[in-house]
Amino acid sequence: MLRGFYTAASGMIAQQRQQEILSNNIANANTPGYQADQAVLRSFPELLLQQMGSKNIPTENGLKIPENRVIGGLTTGVYAQEAIPNFAQGDIRETGIFTDMALVEGLKPDETGGIFFTVQNNEGEIRYTRNGHFTVDAEGYLTTNEGYYVLNQAGNPIQTNGLDFTVTPEGGVQAAGLNTQLGLAYIADVQDLIKGENDLLQLEGDAVAANAYTSGAEFTVQQNYLESSNVNPMQSMTDMIQAYRSFELNQRVLKAYDDSMGKAVNEIARLG
Amino acid sequence: MSLRTMGQAAVTMNQLQHQMDMIGHNLANSQTTGYKSRQAEFSNLLTQQINNMSNPDNAINRVTPDGIRIGTGARLGAIHNNLSLGSMQKTGRDLDTMLLNENHFYQIMVDGETHYTRDGAFYLQPVNNGAEVVLVTQDGYPVNGVNGPIQFEGNFDAIQIDRNGAVIVRRGDQNVLAGTIAVAQIERPRSLEAVGDNLFRIPQNFTDNGLVQQAPLDGSLIESGSLEMSNVSIQEQMTQLINAQRSYQFNSRTISMADQMQGLVNQLR
Repeated sequence: MLRGFYTAASGMIAQQRQQEILSNNIANANTPGYQADQAVLRSFPELLLQQMGSKNIPTENGLKIPENRVIGGLTTGVYAQEAIPNFAQGDIRETGIFTDMALVEGLKPDETGGIFFTVQNNEGEIRYTRNGHFTVDAEGYLTTNEGYYVLNQAGNPIQTNGLDFTVTPEGGVQAAGLNTQLGLAYIADVQDLIKGENDLLQLEGDAVAANAYTSGAEFTVQQNYLESSNVNPMQSMTDMIQAYRSFELNQRVLKAYDDSMGKAVNEIARLG
Repeated sequence: MSLRTMGQAAVTMNQLQHQMDMIGHNLANSQTTGYKSRQAEFSNLLTQQINNMSNPDNAINRVTPDGIRIGTGARLGAIHNNLSLGSMQKTGRDLDTMLLNENHFYQIMVDGETHYTRDGAFYLQPVNNGAEVVLVTQDGYPVNGVNGPIQFEGNFDAIQIDRNGAVIVRRGDQNVLAGTIAVAQIERPRSLEAVGDNLFRIPQNFTDNGLVQQAPLDGSLIESGSLEMSNVSIQEQMTQLINAQRSYQFNSRTISMADQMQGLVNQLR
Protein backbone atom coordinates (compact mmCIF):
# COMPACT_ATOMS: atom_id res chain seq x y z
CA MET A 1 0.00 0.00 0.00
CA LEU A 2 1.24 3.46 -0.77
CA ARG A 3 1.73 5.24 2.54
CA GLY A 4 1.54 8.75 1.17
CA PHE A 5 -2.01 8.22 0.00
CA TYR A 6 -3.47 8.98 3.38
CA THR A 7 -0.82 11.54 4.16
CA ALA A 8 -2.00 13.63 1.25
CA ALA A 9 -5.62 13.16 2.29
CA SER A 10 -4.85 14.25 5.85
CA GLY A 11 -3.18 17.34 4.41
CA MET A 12 -6.36 18.21 2.59
CA ILE A 13 -8.47 17.74 5.71
CA ALA A 14 -6.12 19.88 7.80
CA GLN A 15 -6.18 22.71 5.25
CA GLN A 16 -9.94 22.44 5.20
CA ARG A 17 -10.02 23.00 8.98
CA GLN A 18 -7.65 25.89 8.56
CA GLN A 19 -10.00 27.35 5.97
CA GLU A 20 -12.98 26.98 8.31
CA ILE A 21 -11.15 28.87 11.04
CA LEU A 22 -10.11 31.62 8.63
CA SER A 23 -13.56 32.02 7.16
CA ASN A 24 -15.00 32.37 10.64
CA ASN A 25 -12.47 35.11 11.30
CA ILE A 26 -13.53 36.93 8.17
CA ALA A 27 -17.17 36.52 9.12
CA ASN A 28 -16.40 38.17 12.46
CA ALA A 29 -14.30 41.02 11.11
CA ASN A 30 -17.05 43.41 12.27
CA THR A 31 -17.79 41.85 15.66
CA PRO A 32 -16.66 44.11 18.51
CA GLY A 33 -14.19 42.50 20.88
CA TYR A 34 -13.77 39.38 18.71
CA GLN A 35 -10.48 37.48 19.01
CA ALA A 36 -9.15 36.07 15.75
CA ASP A 37 -8.40 32.35 15.87
CA GLN A 38 -5.22 30.94 14.51
CA ALA A 39 -4.97 27.30 13.47
CA VAL A 40 -2.02 25.26 14.59
CA LEU A 41 -1.15 22.28 12.42
CA ARG A 42 0.70 19.35 13.85
CA SER A 43 2.13 16.27 12.24
CA PHE A 44 0.88 12.85 13.23
CA PRO A 45 3.04 11.00 15.75
CA GLU A 46 6.17 9.65 14.14
CA LEU A 47 6.46 6.11 12.83
CA LEU A 48 9.80 4.41 13.08
CA LEU A 49 10.65 2.67 9.86
CA GLN A 50 12.83 -0.35 10.10
CA GLN A 51 14.16 -2.42 7.28
CA MET A 52 13.68 -6.11 7.92
CA GLY A 53 15.40 -8.31 5.44
CA SER A 54 18.38 -10.47 4.80
CA LYS A 55 21.50 -10.29 2.77
CA ASN A 56 22.62 -13.04 0.49
CA ILE A 57 26.26 -13.92 0.75
CA PRO A 58 27.32 -15.61 -2.47
CA THR A 59 28.85 -18.74 -1.00
CA GLU A 60 28.36 -22.33 -2.01
CA ASN A 61 25.57 -22.95 0.44
CA GLY A 62 23.85 -19.64 -0.14
CA LEU A 63 24.41 -18.03 3.27
CA LYS A 64 21.83 -15.51 4.38
CA ILE A 65 22.55 -12.92 7.02
CA PRO A 66 19.51 -11.33 8.61
CA GLU A 67 19.66 -7.59 8.37
CA ASN A 68 17.68 -5.14 10.54
CA ARG A 69 18.36 -1.53 9.88
CA VAL A 70 16.63 1.54 11.18
CA ILE A 71 15.69 3.79 8.30
CA GLY A 72 14.33 6.71 10.27
CA GLY A 73 11.19 8.40 11.42
CA LEU A 74 8.24 9.10 9.19
CA THR A 75 5.12 10.99 9.99
CA THR A 76 2.09 9.88 8.13
CA GLY A 77 0.03 12.99 8.03
CA VAL A 78 -0.94 16.29 9.55
CA TYR A 79 -3.95 17.55 11.48
CA ALA A 80 -5.25 20.81 12.85
CA GLN A 81 -4.37 20.48 16.50
CA GLU A 82 -5.91 23.59 17.96
CA ALA A 83 -7.33 27.00 17.22
CA ILE A 84 -5.54 29.56 19.35
CA PRO A 85 -7.43 32.83 19.87
CA ASN A 86 -5.34 35.94 19.58
CA PHE A 87 -6.13 38.09 22.59
CA ALA A 88 -4.26 41.14 21.36
CA GLN A 89 -5.98 44.47 21.90
CA GLY A 90 -8.24 45.46 19.00
CA ASP A 91 -8.52 49.00 17.68
CA ILE A 92 -10.64 51.37 19.68
CA ARG A 93 -13.27 53.31 17.80
CA GLU A 94 -15.67 55.97 18.95
CA THR A 95 -19.39 55.28 18.63
CA GLY A 96 -20.82 58.12 20.70
CA ILE A 97 -23.22 55.77 22.46
CA PHE A 98 -23.01 55.98 26.22
CA THR A 99 -23.65 52.27 26.76
CA ASP A 100 -20.66 51.28 24.64
CA MET A 101 -17.51 50.52 26.58
CA ALA A 102 -14.05 49.50 25.54
CA LEU A 103 -11.42 47.93 27.76
CA VAL A 104 -7.93 49.21 27.11
CA GLU A 105 -5.22 47.11 28.67
CA GLY A 106 -2.03 48.52 30.04
CA LEU A 107 0.80 46.74 31.80
CA LYS A 108 -0.18 43.38 33.25
CA PRO A 109 1.55 41.23 35.87
CA ASP A 110 1.57 38.26 33.46
CA GLU A 111 2.44 38.45 29.83
CA THR A 112 -0.45 36.14 29.06
CA GLY A 113 -2.96 38.01 31.22
CA GLY A 114 -6.13 39.69 30.09
CA ILE A 115 -8.97 41.81 31.43
CA PHE A 116 -12.61 41.05 30.72
CA PHE A 117 -16.11 42.21 31.52
CA THR A 118 -18.06 39.72 33.59
CA VAL A 119 -21.59 38.86 32.53
CA GLN A 120 -24.13 36.31 33.61
CA ASN A 121 -25.63 33.93 31.07
CA ASN A 122 -29.16 32.57 31.04
CA GLU A 123 -28.21 29.72 33.38
CA GLY A 124 -26.85 32.18 35.93
CA GLU A 125 -23.24 31.21 35.27
CA ILE A 126 -20.39 33.70 35.08
CA ARG A 127 -18.99 34.35 31.64
CA TYR A 128 -16.38 36.78 30.36
CA THR A 129 -16.43 39.00 27.30
CA ARG A 130 -14.55 41.78 25.58
CA ASN A 131 -17.54 42.89 23.54
CA GLY A 132 -18.55 46.10 25.33
CA HIS A 133 -21.55 46.85 23.13
CA PHE A 134 -24.00 47.00 26.01
CA THR A 135 -27.51 48.29 26.30
CA VAL A 136 -30.09 48.98 28.98
CA ASP A 137 -33.00 46.57 29.01
CA ALA A 138 -36.65 47.41 29.60
CA GLU A 139 -36.21 46.94 33.34
CA GLY A 140 -33.28 49.31 33.46
CA TYR A 141 -30.48 46.76 33.88
CA LEU A 142 -27.24 47.05 31.97
CA THR A 143 -27.08 44.05 29.64
CA THR A 144 -25.07 42.83 26.70
CA ASN A 145 -26.45 42.98 23.21
CA GLU A 146 -27.90 39.50 23.75
CA GLY A 147 -29.62 40.47 26.99
CA TYR A 148 -27.17 38.91 29.45
CA TYR A 149 -26.72 40.92 32.64
CA VAL A 150 -23.47 42.81 32.98
CA LEU A 151 -22.31 42.28 36.54
CA ASN A 152 -20.74 44.66 39.01
CA GLN A 153 -17.81 43.80 41.22
CA ALA A 154 -20.13 42.24 43.80
CA GLY A 155 -21.55 39.91 41.16
CA ASN A 156 -24.95 41.58 40.86
CA PRO A 157 -26.67 43.06 37.80
CA ILE A 158 -26.29 46.83 37.46
CA GLN A 159 -29.57 48.76 37.77
CA THR A 160 -29.14 52.05 35.88
CA ASN A 161 -32.73 53.32 36.31
CA GLY A 162 -32.61 54.14 32.63
CA LEU A 163 -30.79 57.37 33.22
CA ASP A 164 -27.61 58.50 31.62
CA PHE A 165 -24.65 57.25 33.53
CA THR A 166 -20.97 57.90 33.48
CA VAL A 167 -18.30 55.24 33.40
CA THR A 168 -15.05 56.43 34.85
CA PRO A 169 -11.75 55.25 33.34
CA GLU A 170 -11.25 53.23 36.55
CA GLY A 171 -14.43 51.23 35.91
CA GLY A 172 -16.87 53.05 38.19
CA VAL A 173 -20.46 53.41 37.02
CA GLN A 174 -21.97 56.60 38.31
CA ALA A 175 -25.35 58.28 38.01
CA ALA A 176 -27.85 59.89 40.35
CA GLY A 177 -28.35 57.31 43.09
CA LEU A 178 -25.94 54.87 41.46
CA ASN A 179 -22.34 54.32 42.31
CA THR A 180 -20.92 50.91 41.61
CA GLN A 181 -18.00 49.31 39.89
CA LEU A 182 -18.09 47.28 36.71
CA GLY A 183 -17.23 43.67 37.36
CA LEU A 184 -13.86 43.29 35.71
CA ALA A 185 -11.98 40.02 35.82
CA TYR A 186 -8.30 39.45 35.43
CA ILE A 187 -7.31 36.14 33.90
CA ALA A 188 -3.68 35.25 34.28
CA ASP A 189 -3.55 32.97 31.25
CA VAL A 190 -6.08 33.95 28.63
CA GLN A 191 -5.56 30.69 26.77
CA ASP A 192 -7.51 28.96 29.55
CA LEU A 193 -10.62 30.59 28.13
CA ILE A 194 -13.02 28.62 25.99
CA LYS A 195 -15.02 30.42 23.35
CA GLY A 196 -18.73 29.95 23.63
CA GLU A 197 -21.74 31.45 21.91
CA ASN A 198 -22.47 35.15 21.55
CA ASP A 199 -19.00 36.47 22.36
CA LEU A 200 -19.00 34.80 25.77
CA LEU A 201 -15.85 33.19 27.10
CA GLN A 202 -15.75 30.56 29.78
CA LEU A 203 -12.91 29.57 32.03
CA GLU A 204 -11.94 25.94 31.78
CA GLY A 205 -13.78 23.97 34.45
CA ASP A 206 -15.76 27.08 35.46
CA ALA A 207 -12.86 28.37 37.55
CA VAL A 208 -13.34 31.81 39.07
CA ALA A 209 -11.23 34.64 37.71
CA ALA A 210 -9.30 37.11 39.83
CA ASN A 211 -10.48 40.62 40.57
CA ALA A 212 -8.99 43.01 38.03
CA TYR A 213 -8.91 45.94 40.48
CA THR A 214 -6.62 44.17 42.92
CA SER A 215 -4.61 42.19 40.36
CA GLY A 216 -2.11 44.94 39.74
CA ALA A 217 -2.97 45.10 36.06
CA GLU A 218 -3.33 48.51 34.46
CA PHE A 219 -6.41 49.22 32.42
CA THR A 220 -8.85 51.92 31.49
CA VAL A 221 -12.51 51.66 30.60
CA GLN A 222 -13.55 54.03 27.83
CA GLN A 223 -17.17 54.96 27.63
CA ASN A 224 -18.62 55.82 24.17
CA TYR A 225 -16.02 53.60 22.55
CA LEU A 226 -15.93 50.03 21.29
CA GLU A 227 -13.03 47.68 20.79
CA SER A 228 -13.04 46.46 17.20
CA SER A 229 -12.45 42.90 16.18
CA ASN A 230 -8.74 42.17 15.95
CA VAL A 231 -9.17 40.28 12.68
CA ASN A 232 -6.99 41.66 9.94
CA PRO A 233 -8.94 40.98 6.72
CA MET A 234 -5.89 41.37 4.50
CA GLN A 235 -3.93 38.88 6.55
CA SER A 236 -6.89 36.49 6.67
CA MET A 237 -7.38 36.66 2.92
CA THR A 238 -3.71 35.97 2.31
CA ASP A 239 -3.78 33.03 4.71
CA MET A 240 -6.88 31.77 2.99
CA ILE A 241 -5.25 31.82 -0.42
CA GLN A 242 -2.28 30.02 1.05
CA ALA A 243 -4.50 27.38 2.67
CA TYR A 244 -6.32 26.98 -0.62
CA ARG A 245 -3.11 26.44 -2.58
CA SER A 246 -1.84 24.04 0.01
CA PHE A 247 -5.11 22.13 -0.29
CA GLU A 248 -4.64 22.08 -4.04
CA LEU A 249 -1.07 20.80 -3.72
CA ASN A 250 -2.21 17.94 -1.54
CA GLN A 251 -4.92 17.18 -4.03
CA ARG A 252 -2.31 16.98 -6.80
CA VAL A 253 -0.20 14.61 -4.71
CA LEU A 254 -3.23 12.47 -4.07
CA LYS A 255 -3.92 12.33 -7.80
CA ALA A 256 -0.34 11.37 -8.48
CA TYR A 257 -0.72 8.49 -6.06
CA ASP A 258 -3.95 7.57 -7.76
CA ASP A 259 -2.14 7.45 -11.10
CA SER A 260 0.49 5.15 -9.62
CA MET A 261 -2.19 2.93 -8.21
CA GLY A 262 -3.90 2.93 -11.57
CA LYS A 263 -0.71 1.81 -13.22
CA ALA A 264 -0.21 -0.89 -10.62
CA VAL A 265 -3.69 -2.21 -11.12
CA ASN A 266 -4.00 -1.96 -14.87
CA GLU A 267 -0.56 -2.13 -16.39
CA ILE A 268 1.74 -4.25 -14.24
CA ALA A 269 -0.27 -7.38 -14.66
CA ARG A 270 -1.25 -6.81 -18.27
CA LEU A 271 -0.68 -9.83 -20.44
CA GLY A 272 0.59 -9.42 -23.91
CA MET B 1 -17.00 19.54 5.03
CA SER B 2 -16.66 22.61 2.90
CA LEU B 3 -20.22 23.31 3.83
CA ARG B 4 -19.17 24.70 7.20
CA THR B 5 -17.09 27.36 5.49
CA MET B 6 -19.90 28.14 3.10
CA GLY B 7 -22.44 28.23 5.92
CA GLN B 8 -20.38 30.68 7.97
CA ALA B 9 -20.01 33.00 5.01
CA ALA B 10 -23.59 32.68 3.81
CA VAL B 11 -25.05 33.39 7.26
CA THR B 12 -22.80 36.38 7.69
CA MET B 13 -23.63 37.76 4.25
CA ASN B 14 -27.28 37.56 5.09
CA GLN B 15 -26.64 39.52 8.28
CA LEU B 16 -24.51 42.06 6.45
CA GLN B 17 -27.43 42.49 4.10
CA HIS B 18 -29.56 43.38 7.12
CA GLN B 19 -26.97 45.92 8.17
CA MET B 20 -27.03 47.45 4.70
CA ASP B 21 -30.83 47.55 4.83
CA MET B 22 -30.58 49.41 8.12
CA ILE B 23 -28.03 51.86 6.71
CA GLY B 24 -30.25 52.38 3.67
CA HIS B 25 -33.14 53.16 5.97
CA ASN B 26 -31.05 55.66 7.89
CA LEU B 27 -29.85 57.36 4.71
CA ALA B 28 -33.38 57.51 3.34
CA ASN B 29 -34.43 59.27 6.52
CA SER B 30 -31.53 61.68 6.73
CA GLN B 31 -33.97 64.53 6.08
CA THR B 32 -36.89 63.24 8.15
CA THR B 33 -37.83 65.57 10.98
CA GLY B 34 -37.21 64.03 14.40
CA TYR B 35 -35.89 60.76 12.97
CA LYS B 36 -33.56 58.81 15.23
CA SER B 37 -30.68 57.02 13.62
CA ARG B 38 -30.58 53.25 14.11
CA GLN B 39 -27.50 51.25 14.74
CA ALA B 40 -26.52 47.68 15.43
CA GLU B 41 -23.32 45.79 16.04
CA PHE B 42 -22.37 42.22 15.23
CA SER B 43 -21.77 39.39 17.64
CA ASN B 44 -20.52 35.93 16.92
CA LEU B 45 -22.74 32.90 16.60
CA LEU B 46 -22.50 29.48 18.18
CA THR B 47 -19.10 27.94 18.56
CA GLN B 48 -18.76 24.28 17.74
CA GLN B 49 -16.45 22.17 19.80
CA ILE B 50 -14.75 19.46 17.78
CA ASN B 51 -13.00 16.82 19.81
CA ASN B 52 -10.26 15.69 17.50
CA MET B 53 -7.34 13.41 18.31
CA SER B 54 -8.31 12.43 21.81
CA ASN B 55 -5.14 10.42 22.40
CA PRO B 56 -3.42 11.91 25.52
CA ASP B 57 -0.11 12.16 23.64
CA ASN B 58 -1.66 14.72 21.38
CA ALA B 59 -2.25 17.03 24.31
CA ILE B 60 1.48 17.62 24.63
CA ASN B 61 2.51 21.19 23.87
CA ARG B 62 -1.03 22.37 23.56
CA VAL B 63 -1.78 25.96 24.53
CA THR B 64 -5.55 25.86 24.71
CA PRO B 65 -8.02 23.47 26.38
CA ASP B 66 -8.78 20.22 24.55
CA GLY B 67 -10.51 20.14 21.21
CA ILE B 68 -10.93 22.69 18.48
CA ARG B 69 -13.55 25.37 18.69
CA ILE B 70 -14.79 26.71 15.41
CA GLY B 71 -17.32 29.48 15.18
CA THR B 72 -20.25 29.50 12.81
CA GLY B 73 -20.25 33.08 11.58
CA ALA B 74 -21.61 36.35 12.86
CA ARG B 75 -24.98 37.88 13.32
CA LEU B 76 -26.35 41.36 13.70
CA GLY B 77 -27.43 42.12 17.25
CA ALA B 78 -30.48 44.08 18.31
CA ILE B 79 -31.07 47.40 16.60
CA HIS B 80 -31.01 50.41 18.88
CA ASN B 81 -32.17 53.91 18.27
CA ASN B 82 -29.54 56.54 18.77
CA LEU B 83 -31.63 58.99 20.78
CA SER B 84 -29.18 61.87 20.76
CA LEU B 85 -30.64 65.25 19.92
CA GLY B 86 -30.74 66.23 16.25
CA SER B 87 -29.67 69.67 15.18
CA MET B 88 -32.18 72.50 15.33
CA GLN B 89 -33.52 74.02 12.17
CA LYS B 90 -35.22 77.40 12.35
CA THR B 91 -38.34 77.47 10.22
CA GLY B 92 -40.19 80.44 11.71
CA ARG B 93 -43.48 78.58 11.32
CA ASP B 94 -45.76 78.96 14.32
CA LEU B 95 -46.72 75.30 14.55
CA ASP B 96 -43.24 73.85 14.16
CA THR B 97 -41.82 72.72 17.48
CA MET B 98 -38.74 70.98 18.74
CA LEU B 99 -38.38 69.03 21.97
CA LEU B 100 -35.29 70.08 23.85
CA ASN B 101 -34.70 66.95 25.92
CA GLU B 102 -33.62 63.61 24.52
CA ASN B 103 -36.14 61.51 26.41
CA HIS B 104 -39.20 63.67 25.82
CA PHE B 105 -41.87 62.67 23.32
CA TYR B 106 -45.15 63.97 21.97
CA GLN B 107 -48.10 61.67 22.47
CA ILE B 108 -50.25 60.94 19.44
CA MET B 109 -53.51 59.01 19.36
CA VAL B 110 -53.48 56.47 16.53
CA ASP B 111 -56.62 54.33 16.36
CA GLY B 112 -57.17 54.60 20.09
CA GLU B 113 -53.59 53.67 20.99
CA THR B 114 -51.01 56.10 22.31
CA HIS B 115 -47.91 56.45 20.16
CA TYR B 116 -44.88 58.61 20.74
CA THR B 117 -42.99 60.79 18.32
CA ARG B 118 -40.28 63.43 18.20
CA ASP B 119 -41.67 64.96 15.03
CA GLY B 120 -42.93 68.41 16.04
CA ALA B 121 -44.31 69.68 12.71
CA PHE B 122 -47.97 70.22 13.59
CA TYR B 123 -50.96 71.33 11.60
CA LEU B 124 -54.52 72.42 12.27
CA GLN B 125 -57.36 70.32 10.94
CA PRO B 126 -60.92 71.63 10.77
CA VAL B 127 -63.56 69.65 12.63
CA ASN B 128 -67.31 70.17 13.29
CA ASN B 129 -67.91 71.57 9.76
CA GLY B 130 -65.05 73.98 10.05
CA ALA B 131 -66.23 75.67 13.23
CA GLU B 132 -63.32 74.33 15.26
CA VAL B 133 -59.82 73.17 14.56
CA VAL B 134 -57.73 70.47 16.19
CA LEU B 135 -53.93 70.22 16.44
CA VAL B 136 -52.70 67.21 14.44
CA THR B 137 -49.48 65.73 13.10
CA GLN B 138 -48.70 65.75 9.41
CA ASP B 139 -50.46 62.39 9.09
CA GLY B 140 -53.59 63.84 10.64
CA TYR B 141 -53.41 62.13 14.03
CA PRO B 142 -54.51 64.35 16.93
CA VAL B 143 -51.82 65.48 19.36
CA ASN B 144 -52.59 64.71 22.98
CA GLY B 145 -53.02 67.68 25.23
CA VAL B 146 -53.02 67.63 28.99
CA ASN B 147 -56.84 67.43 28.82
CA GLY B 148 -57.44 65.39 25.67
CA PRO B 149 -57.02 66.65 22.09
CA ILE B 150 -56.27 70.34 21.62
CA GLN B 151 -59.40 71.63 19.97
CA PHE B 152 -60.48 75.27 19.73
CA GLU B 153 -62.47 77.78 17.66
CA GLY B 154 -61.01 78.35 14.25
CA ASN B 155 -61.22 82.16 14.01
CA PHE B 156 -58.10 83.69 15.49
CA ASP B 157 -55.48 86.22 14.49
CA ALA B 158 -52.33 84.49 15.68
CA ILE B 159 -51.24 81.26 17.37
CA GLN B 160 -48.13 80.40 19.32
CA ILE B 161 -46.77 77.52 21.35
CA ASP B 162 -44.77 78.49 24.41
CA ARG B 163 -41.82 76.72 26.00
CA ASN B 164 -44.07 74.65 28.28
CA GLY B 165 -46.26 73.45 25.42
CA ALA B 166 -49.17 75.83 26.02
CA VAL B 167 -51.01 76.67 22.79
CA ILE B 168 -51.97 80.33 23.01
CA VAL B 169 -54.40 81.87 20.53
CA ARG B 170 -54.82 85.61 20.03
CA ARG B 171 -58.19 87.03 19.07
CA GLY B 172 -58.12 90.80 18.71
CA ASP B 173 -56.10 91.91 21.70
CA GLN B 174 -56.99 88.93 23.87
CA ASN B 175 -54.71 85.94 24.44
CA VAL B 176 -56.58 82.71 25.15
CA LEU B 177 -55.06 79.43 26.32
CA ALA B 178 -56.44 76.87 23.90
CA GLY B 179 -54.76 73.86 25.47
CA THR B 180 -51.41 72.48 26.53
CA ILE B 181 -49.46 69.87 24.63
CA ALA B 182 -48.74 66.90 26.89
CA VAL B 183 -45.04 66.08 26.79
CA ALA B 184 -44.20 62.59 27.98
CA GLN B 185 -40.93 61.89 29.67
CA ILE B 186 -39.86 58.31 29.05
CA GLU B 187 -37.43 57.06 31.62
CA ARG B 188 -35.99 54.25 29.53
CA PRO B 189 -36.43 55.37 25.94
CA ARG B 190 -34.62 52.29 24.67
CA SER B 191 -37.62 50.16 25.53
CA LEU B 192 -39.68 51.95 22.88
CA GLU B 193 -40.57 50.05 19.75
CA ALA B 194 -40.56 51.76 16.34
CA VAL B 195 -43.84 51.30 14.46
CA GLY B 196 -43.23 53.30 11.29
CA ASP B 197 -44.45 56.77 10.32
CA ASN B 198 -41.82 58.19 12.66
CA LEU B 199 -43.79 56.83 15.63
CA PHE B 200 -42.84 54.72 18.62
CA ARG B 201 -44.93 52.77 21.06
CA ILE B 202 -44.56 50.91 24.32
CA PRO B 203 -44.17 47.22 23.48
CA GLN B 204 -47.29 45.16 24.02
CA ASN B 205 -47.56 43.12 27.24
CA PHE B 206 -45.24 45.61 28.86
CA THR B 207 -46.34 46.44 32.36
CA ASP B 208 -44.25 49.09 33.95
CA ASN B 209 -46.21 52.04 35.08
CA GLY B 210 -43.24 54.20 35.96
CA LEU B 211 -41.98 54.20 32.37
CA VAL B 212 -44.00 57.15 31.08
CA GLN B 213 -44.26 60.28 33.15
CA GLN B 214 -45.44 63.78 32.62
CA ALA B 215 -42.45 65.99 31.82
CA PRO B 216 -41.98 68.67 34.50
CA LEU B 217 -42.99 72.09 33.21
CA ASP B 218 -39.70 73.87 33.70
CA GLY B 219 -40.07 76.33 30.84
CA SER B 220 -37.51 74.59 28.64
CA LEU B 221 -39.47 71.79 27.03
CA ILE B 222 -40.26 73.09 23.59
CA GLU B 223 -38.73 75.52 21.16
CA SER B 224 -41.32 76.73 18.69
CA GLY B 225 -40.58 78.01 15.21
CA SER B 226 -37.95 75.27 14.88
CA LEU B 227 -37.77 71.63 13.88
CA GLU B 228 -35.47 68.89 15.07
CA MET B 229 -33.50 67.55 12.15
CA SER B 230 -32.74 63.88 11.73
CA ASN B 231 -29.67 62.88 13.73
CA VAL B 232 -28.35 60.65 10.93
CA SER B 233 -24.79 61.48 10.05
CA ILE B 234 -24.53 60.83 6.32
CA GLN B 235 -20.73 60.61 6.36
CA GLU B 236 -20.79 58.00 9.10
CA GLN B 237 -23.51 55.99 7.37
CA MET B 238 -21.64 56.03 4.06
CA THR B 239 -18.48 54.83 5.77
CA GLN B 240 -20.41 52.02 7.41
CA LEU B 241 -22.02 51.16 4.09
CA ILE B 242 -18.66 50.87 2.34
CA ASN B 243 -17.35 48.76 5.19
CA ALA B 244 -20.40 46.48 5.08
CA GLN B 245 -20.12 46.12 1.33
CA ARG B 246 -16.47 45.17 1.53
CA SER B 247 -17.20 42.65 4.25
CA TYR B 248 -19.86 41.25 1.98
CA GLN B 249 -17.27 40.85 -0.75
CA PHE B 250 -14.84 39.20 1.63
CA ASN B 251 -17.43 36.64 2.61
CA SER B 252 -18.42 35.97 -0.97
CA ARG B 253 -14.76 35.31 -1.74
CA THR B 254 -14.84 32.75 1.06
CA ILE B 255 -17.74 31.01 -0.63
CA SER B 256 -16.09 30.94 -4.03
CA MET B 257 -12.91 29.61 -2.46
CA ALA B 258 -14.84 26.85 -0.69
CA ASP B 259 -16.53 26.11 -3.99
CA GLN B 260 -13.19 25.74 -5.73
CA MET B 261 -12.00 23.45 -2.96
CA GLN B 262 -15.01 21.26 -3.49
CA GLY B 263 -14.22 21.31 -7.18
CA LEU B 264 -10.74 20.02 -6.41
CA VAL B 265 -12.25 17.21 -4.36
CA ASN B 266 -14.50 16.34 -7.27
CA GLN B 267 -11.55 16.15 -9.62
CA LEU B 268 -10.06 13.38 -7.53
CA ARG B 269 -12.13 10.87 -9.36
